[in-house]
Amino acid sequence: MKWKKLGKIFSPLEYSLNKTYIGYAQSPQVLIFDDFIRIYFSIREESKNGKFISHIQYVDMTKDFNVINTSQHDVISLGELGCYDEHGIFPINILKFNNKVYAYLSGWSRRVSVSVETGIGLAMSDDNGKTFQRLGNGPVLSSSINEPYLVVDGFVKVYNEVFHMWYIYGTDWIKNNPNSEAERTYKIGHATSLDGIIWEKENKQIIEDSMAYECQALPTVIRIKDRYHMYFAYRNTFDFRDNPNNGYRLGYAYSDDLSTWTRDDKNVGIELSKNGWDSNMMSYPHIFEFNNAVYMLYNGNNFGKDGFGLAKLESTN
Amino acid sequence: MLKWKKLGLVFNPLDIKDKDWLNEFAQAPSVIEFDNFIRVYFSCRPKIDKNGQYVSYSAYVDLDKQNFSILEVSKKPILELGNLGTFDEFGTYPASVIKKDDKYLVYYGGWTRCESVPFNVAIGCGISNDGGKTFQKMGNGPILSYSIDEPFILSGPKIRKFNSKFYLFYIAGRSWKITNNKPEPIYKIRMAISDNGINWTKHNHDLISDVLGKDEAQASPDVIFSNGKYHMFFCYREASDFRRNKDRSYRIGYAYSTDLTCWTRDDSKVGMDVSKEGWDSEMVAYPHVVNLNNKVYMFYLGNQVGKYGFGIAELEGKLE
Repeated sequence: MKWKKLGKIFSPLEYSLNKTYIGYAQSPQVLIFDDFIRIYFSIREESKNGKFISHIQYVDMTKDFNVINTSQHDVISLGELGCYDEHGIFPINILKFNNKVYAYLSGWSRRVSVSVETGIGLAMSDDNGKTFQRLGNGPVLSSSINEPYLVVDGFVKVYNEVFHMWYIYGTDWIKNNPNSEAERTYKIGHATSLDGIIWEKENKQIIEDSMAYECQALPTVIRIKDRYHMYFAYRNTFDFRDNPNNGYRLGYAYSDDLSTWTRDDKNVGIELSKNGWDSNMMSYPHIFEFNNAVYMLYNGNNFGKDGFGLAKLESTN
Repeated sequence: MLKWKKLGLVFNPLDIKDKDWLNEFAQAPSVIEFDNFIRVYFSCRPKIDKNGQYVSYSAYVDLDKQNFSILEVSKKPILELGNLGTFDEFGTYPASVIKKDDKYLVYYGGWTRCESVPFNVAIGCGISNDGGKTFQKMGNGPILSYSIDEPFILSGPKIRKFNSKFYLFYIAGRSWKITNNKPEPIYKIRMAISDNGINWTKHNHDLISDVLGKDEAQASPDVIFSNGKYHMFFCYREASDFRRNKDRSYRIGYAYSTDLTCWTRDDSKVGMDVSKEGWDSEMVAYPHVVNLNNKVYMFYLGNQVGKYGFGIAELEGKLE
């Protein structure tokens, strides 16, 4: 694979939105229209207790990725008291299928012994993605016997009339030492559905590890000719925030049958820049076809605090 | 109306002095019959911690079949608490056990602690290879978890087998209501069906209509087949101020069904209420109705939801 970087295309604090945020435009994901593209992202508000809450906003861009305007309203409300998505939505994955617009929400709620629990919910839009309403207060994909927590990062595509969701699930909460915060490890899983609502998990890790204590995050899949390509982010479970050697990188895998995936990071075709906005970290990839080309949106340093950028696929070889 | 003869308190956890994990409470009694005795599973708590919070364990007491005298109390909890971050890290309550082939399965509520509300619950499953004395979890996660219309608090499981299928009756949270700055949960009775006891399909409907309005909380759905009908005993309460206020606390409700799907609620038939004084004078809760010795018995909790243990009542007449 070979990608050409087109640079950072959106910095959240340069635009007015529905209210004032502290920054971040994380996990950009698209809804494509005939003559423009809508890019949803998660942006952070600070809570009274110093923690963060992620909200969904969007930016509409031209075919050349120039900003047309930004959302000035609540795109989707936070979940109700005690629900899986009470303390934030991050990320949101949009699927247009049979003239309906689906949003797979990754919802966050806070815990006491560990920081959070998550789940994947579903909302629909009847105004072309301007706002979304939930199908219910609970998630469509949640924990299960061997995926005990942290089901999140759902990415949905319909292939051959089957809904496929790639997502991540937690395998461990570990404290490096007794006084440190517990850190989580998660892996990429897969579920299928006939209606996008009732899902059956495959119940296995589908992408092999490249190191001990590896976290795998945000899978994104695209079919090009007869091959399915998956990009995702991966990092070390520990010391990943400030140590660039342990932070997020992009990983790559391919499959010809949606069942068996071959991890092939050496062909990822996109690396950290020597300097600049994506020189320490690359994460939260989102791949899509638009205007007869294949593009990748992604976040750079600091988990996307300063915005997101774009790359264009030049070759699959 | 059914007529119950109260036999009194049969197990008081405050009488147990040698187990720090069993300090008070004996909640949600659930019976398995053996040849020479009955085993009553219940849930209990150690002393409250320095932050004012409890954990809960499940255990059992073996009782004489005839006079219900205590034969033995379990040496340790039947399940360990879950690992860091798991759904059952802070409690395993309540528990319901069923025999499957030559092993026993337990279905239990696993408790975690949350920031905005005090807790959340999901249903776990364990298997016993020692005749129901201890159980090993099937995995670190729940066997029944949250879904679109069951957003939180899946608890109070009762496992049954009817017509070669497994039925799980349980409660699912509907909303958290804030009263005096404190959130209290509302939950409703639900059901799931399984061929093997592991993979469950939710019925996704409330089984029991409300009598106290939409904020009625319903708990502990206990189902028994008798004389051609399925009978459900459960408990229900007001949304707030239900812990010590006798007029708003748990009472026992009743419903019947011929197909396990459509239930007719008829609390006027239940025949069980609080006593004028004593251990069950403020509430009656968490009923469990069983056939033993060719009779029908109800095991149930009294004041403060079983802080002082459980008692038994004997049905005079038939359950029909």
